[in-house]
Amino acid sequence: MSSELLHSPLFALPLSCGAFWFGVLLYRRTGTVLLHPIITASLLVFAALYSLDIPYRDYQDASGLLYVLLGPAVVALAVPLKQNLTVIRRAGWPLLVTIAIGALLAPAVAVGIALLLGMGKSVLLALSGKSITTPIALALAEKIHATLSLTAAIVVLTGVFGALAGPPLVRRLGIRDERILGVVLGINAHAVGTARALEISALCGACAALAMGLCGALSALLLPLIIAP
Amino acid sequence: MTAPSPRELAHWVLGIAILFGCERLGSLIGKALALPVPGTVVGMLLLLVGLMVYGSVPRGLAKVSAQLLFLLPLLFLPAATGVFFLRDLSLSDWLGLLAAILFGTLISLTLCTLLLRRLLRKTDIVHNNE
Repeated sequence: MSSELLHSPLFALPLSCGAFWFGVLLYRRTGTVLLHPIITASLLVFAALYSLDIPYRDYQDASGLLYVLLGPAVVALAVPLKQNLTVIRRAGWPLLVTIAIGALLAPAVAVGIALLLGMGKSVLLALSGKSITTPIALALAEKIHATLSLTAAIVVLTGVFGALAGPPLVRRLGIRDERILGVVLGINAHAVGTARALEISALCGACAALAMGLCGALSALLLPLIIAP
Repeated sequence: MTAPSPRELAHWVLGIAILFGCERLGSLIGKALALPVPGTVVGMLLLLVGLMVYGSVPRGLAKVSAQLLFLLPLLFLPAATGVFFLRDLSLSDWLGLLAAILFGTLISLTLCTLLLRRLLRKTDIVHNNE
């Protein structure tokens, strides 16, 4: 009986929720991007599955409810996008041009480096979604037949690294304009970067949210055309 | 915490219904037209256009969306955990991947920053001349 319970949603869902809740608490307590909830939570879930000897497949199958909610979450991205559209009216076309170019540049640079290093096709495909917010990246990964787990890991790593490196790098370049910092964080570090931008200022956060949403939508429109499945 | 009033509850249900409705509609349109874009993204664009036409964001929809976006890391937790179980990547694959992520992100951050600064300066000059 106990083994059956361990492989059912009755175990998988509370495990995910508990790990996420703990991750959020720890993140709020420490405030460092390195301890983003998804990192602590996925390590906790991994530790639990490993020590209880539960195959990943079973956990994944039992987590169907969470996957079902990813769809509406992508749709929900339209709401912050609409709320921040006014930022465009003030900064206008430079924002749009940068977001459009950045949406192509961010994955292109990473894929280019990986090509130079002679990486395999599965890695290249997963890398192409690196700067897109996770729910869109996962939907896109399904479409272009990339590995979902690898895509999710790459997106999370990119977000955390971009959010860490972005603000000091932009300051180094001698830039104080918070609109620039926000847009750059939104393009390159999606949701993690947007959360970091919101800590800096509301304007910075609005620019980041706008850049993240537009960049995600643009990539979803363009990438499948470039990468013929 | 006070219990939500029936009115609030109706707002929430409406918000949830809008999200699921747009997702279904987006998937249907995507399939019917055989679009290369994920159906959920079509749904997101539909909702965006709808909100722009409507002019504002309904209160229930704003609440439900904010809640859902806060829970986002939980929703992709199963997918993210899977990375610890990937067996078909070698150590050199991982090192290359890390290099591509770290250097790629640094280069792209720098280029985007310089580009936007240049473009913003140009518009500022135009504004000053006007």
